[in-house]
Amino acid sequence: MKRSTLWKRVISAVLSSTLLLGAALATEHRADAAEVSGKIVIAGSTALLPLTQQAAKEFKKSHPKVKIVVSGSSSIAGPQSVTKGVATIGACDWDATKAVGGFPAYKGLKAYKIAKIPFAVIVNKGNPVSNLSVEQIQDIYEGKIKNWKQLGGKDEEIVVINRAKGSGTRVNFEDKIMDGHMIKTTGDNYKEVQKSGDMVNAVASNPNAIGFVDLAYVKGGIKAVSINGVKATTANAKSGKYIFYGYGYLLTKGEAKGADKAFIDYILSKKFQNGSLKKLKFIPVK
Amino acid sequence: MEKLSPDWTEATRLLTAQRQRWTTKYRFDRLFRFFCLTSIVFLIVVLSAIVLFVSKTGLLVFRDVSPWEFFFSSRWDPEHHRYGAAVFITGTLYVTFVTLLIATPISISTAVFIAEMAPPRLQQWLRTLLDLLVGIPSIVYGYLGATLLVPWIRKLTGAPVGDGILAAAIVLSMMILPTITRITDDALCAVPNEWREANYALGGTKIEMISKILLPAAKSGIAAAVILGMARAIGETMAVVMVIGNVAQWGFDLVTPSSVLTSHIVMQILNVDFQSTTNHALYMMALLLLFISISFIMMIRRLRLKGGPSS
Repeated sequence: MKRSTLWKRVISAVLSSTLLLGAALATEHRADAAEVSGKIVIAGSTALLPLTQQAAKEFKKSHPKVKIVVSGSSSIAGPQSVTKGVATIGACDWDATKAVGGFPAYKGLKAYKIAKIPFAVIVNKGNPVSNLSVEQIQDIYEGKIKNWKQLGGKDEEIVVINRAKGSGTRVNFEDKIMDGHMIKTTGDNYKEVQKSGDMVNAVASNPNAIGFVDLAYVKGGIKAVSINGVKATTANAKSGKYIFYGYGYLLTKGEAKGADKAFIDYILSKKFQNGSLKKLKFIPVK
Repeated sequence: MEKLSPDWTEATRLLTAQRQRWTTKYRFDRLFRFFCLTSIVFLIVVLSAIVLFVSKTGLLVFRDVSPWEFFFSSRWDPEHHRYGAAVFITGTLYVTFVTLLIATPISISTAVFIAEMAPPRLQQWLRTLLDLLVGIPSIVYGYLGATLLVPWIRKLTGAPVGDGILAAAIVLSMMILPTITRITDDALCAVPNEWREANYALGGTKIEMISKILLPAAKSGIAAAVILGMARAIGETMAVVMVIGNVAQWGFDLVTPSSVLTSHIVMQILNVDFQSTTNHALYMMALLLLFISISFIMMIRRLRLKGGPSS
């Protein structure tokens, strides 16, 4: 009985890892094959995934002969897979042709700016603080301001929540808000989460937490604070008054050609920029 | 002669039919044998492929990082080329230790209750319940831990975050309780009834029977149960990543956000360049986990071979 359960465990573990391995190999293989036959293969940022998926859906209708495969894992996977030739288009939350946020510049890629992404610094809904200056946010993340009382809030220790290294949102936060100041990544009031959704949960479940996330995620138990007195809205991000925003990029190996070019042109078209892109809470770049 | 011939025909017919039946039967046997062989070959190939791939990639880390730094430095800071994994290795061992500290006494007591004290109907009911609990996906435990346990720890200890080794250990204890309990229960039930009766015949009480006869007799089975629980705790990822806080720092006070091997791998693996030292370091951590698990399985096998009434 015991032995059989043990074996069951061992076997199921092995089988599941095989499946995973197989899946990983399979996707890579498929992507490879797709490139050869001239299909569009998109990989990279999950933040841009809704956008690329929607665009792919619409693009397929007008170009029935082009096959598009869209996937998403993380921003850094975008430039990586294009460089390796696994994907034809990489999606990334920063311009990966330049060295940003500790990541190297990817040479030989061409970046197309496709959308403006508004982000928000968020606190728990019950937190009375509703406005922070950039300096205050820097001080919080550097560990200089430790109590909400110093910011006009309750006498409670601030809990600092950060995304894991490699998150496109974190890269933008470090770029736009921290501006060269280092985040203190230790301490008993600091924790890291994996995804945007986890960030929302962490801030919603802790009354003293502060974090940051795409504006589209702000609802439920969290609220976006104004930065330097400017409310976090798409309108303010569009006008540039609100400073916490980033750009989404599509990357190709060299100049985009053929189907890739047609696809990027479609995303940059007025119709898509002012239609679906806006609906998905991104800001048009054209 | 004339009369024999129908019998002959009949016999031949029967024989042919029988032979045909046997042939089909054996053909199926051979097919099944082939199927079993292919399965085992497939298993071995996959298993060695995993071990090979993980070790090949993992060992590359030592091209850029000294083993001394990897195993004994607590500074994990890939941006500044520091790849100390001591925090994660220690974290994994520490979290497992605290988990066992919580889970073992509870599991063994529960198993003793089920095996020795519970009335038959309750016994059956509890065993079914525990078997069901084993099947609960770990993400469910993790979610409950993050939404119920962590705020509770925050309130109780006054820690600002609440995530940490304690939260992870409690969640893991809940997860491995059913495993340890059921296997211990099996080990206890395997102790011959005569031994219990001998105790009573000598005037021993129930508590003497349990502590002096039952538990010592089943000790190798119990040890196997604990190690199996340990193996599960060490490899668990999703439940842990949700409650541990994921910070590369020591978490000895139990409520400081910290990190372990599994949670750190899953947090980072999607965000690193495949050719980078960080990636190799993560694979090295995976290799370490693999070795830890394998040594546990070996330990269980050895315990089994040693025997005792439970095996």
